[in-house]
Amino acid sequence: MMQSSPLNWRRAVILVGRLALAAVFLFAAYSKIFLPNSLFGPLPMKLAMSVNLQNFVPSVEQYKVVSHGAAVSIAHALPFVELFLGLLLLIGWRIRIWLSAASAMLLGFISLLTWAFLNHMDIKDCGCFASSTPEPLNGWTLLRDGIFLAFALLITFLAFVEARKPHSWTAPANS
Amino acid sequence: METFSDFQCPACKQLYLGTTRQLTDNYISTGKVFAIHRDFPLPGHAYSRIAARYGRAAAQLGKLEQVEQVLFQNQEKWEQTGDVDGTVASALTPTEMNKIRALVNSPGIDAAIEKDVALGRTYGVNQTPTTIIHYKGQTFPVTGVVNYDALHSFLDQLLSTR
Repeated sequence: MMQSSPLNWRRAVILVGRLALAAVFLFAAYSKIFLPNSLFGPLPMKLAMSVNLQNFVPSVEQYKVVSHGAAVSIAHALPFVELFLGLLLLIGWRIRIWLSAASAMLLGFISLLTWAFLNHMDIKDCGCFASSTPEPLNGWTLLRDGIFLAFALLITFLAFVEARKPHSWTAPANS
Repeated sequence: METFSDFQCPACKQLYLGTTRQLTDNYISTGKVFAIHRDFPLPGHAYSRIAARYGRAAAQLGKLEQVEQVLFQNQEKWEQTGDVDGTVASALTPTEMNKIRALVNSPGIDAAIEKDVALGRTYGVNQTPTTIIHYKGQTFPVTGVVNYDALHSFLDQLLSTR
C-alpha cells in the first residue's frame, strides 16, 4: 500500500509559516541592533550598537507603561529576544515551544498597540521595526501586526495538530 | 563635532538633555571638543522650521544656548500650541526678544538653515539627531541618541591617539 509523503499540506504550511515568522522576528531584531549605525562602519562596534539600542528607548517609553529605567532595560533586551526567537524558528528546533513563545510575544505587542490606539495615545513610532522614518501607530500598523498574530496562532495550532497525528512513516503497532 | 538637530524631535531633546549638557561641561568648555549646532528641521514636524529660525536668530545674538535649552525643555508644550515665540521669550529679556523677533523672518536666517540642511545631505543625514565627529581627517557619523558614557569613552579613545 502506498504511504502519503511526510510533507503533507499541513507540514508545508507550518514550514512556510515558520520561516515567514522567523523572517519577521529576525528583521525586527536586525533593524534595532544593526541600524541605523552599521556595526561594521567607521564607529567602534560597541558604540554603534549602544546608539542603535538607545534609539529604541523612546519608542518603548512613549507607551508610558514602564519607568525610564525599565524602558532602557527593555530596549536593550527585547531585540536580542527577537533575534534568539527568530533563529530558533529558523532552525526549527522544538518548534511548538518557540511558535507558542512567538505567538505570546505578538499577542503582548498587539495588546499594547491596541490599548494605546484605543486611548488615543500619540505614538510617533510604534517601535515594531526600527527605520529612518518613524512609523506612527495607526490602523495600518494595528492591522499588519494583527495579521502577524493571526498567522502565528494559525501556524502554532497546526503544529500542535500535526504533532498529535502519527507520523505517516511510523510503523503500525503490533497487534 | 557637528550635530544636525531638529528642535521638535523627541530624540534630539533626549540627546540634548542627556548628553549635550554633560559634553559641554566636560569637553566643550575645556576646549577638548569644538561643537557646532546644525539645523535640520524635518518636514513632518509642524513647528521645527519656525523653532530653527528662532534658534538661528538667537545664535546671532550669542543666545543660542539659552534658547536651545528652553525649546528642548518645553518641547511637549510648544509642539501642542505652536507657541515658539512665547517659549523663547520666557528665557530672554524683552530687549533681546525684540531683536530676535526682528531677525526671525529675515531671508538670511532661512538661507542659513537651508545651508545646514544641504550640508547634512552631503553627509547623508536623513534623520535627527545625527552627530558627525571629525578627527584628524576621519569622519565618524553617529545617527541617533548617543548616551554620554558611550560618547565619553569614544572621545577619550580618540583624544588619546593624539
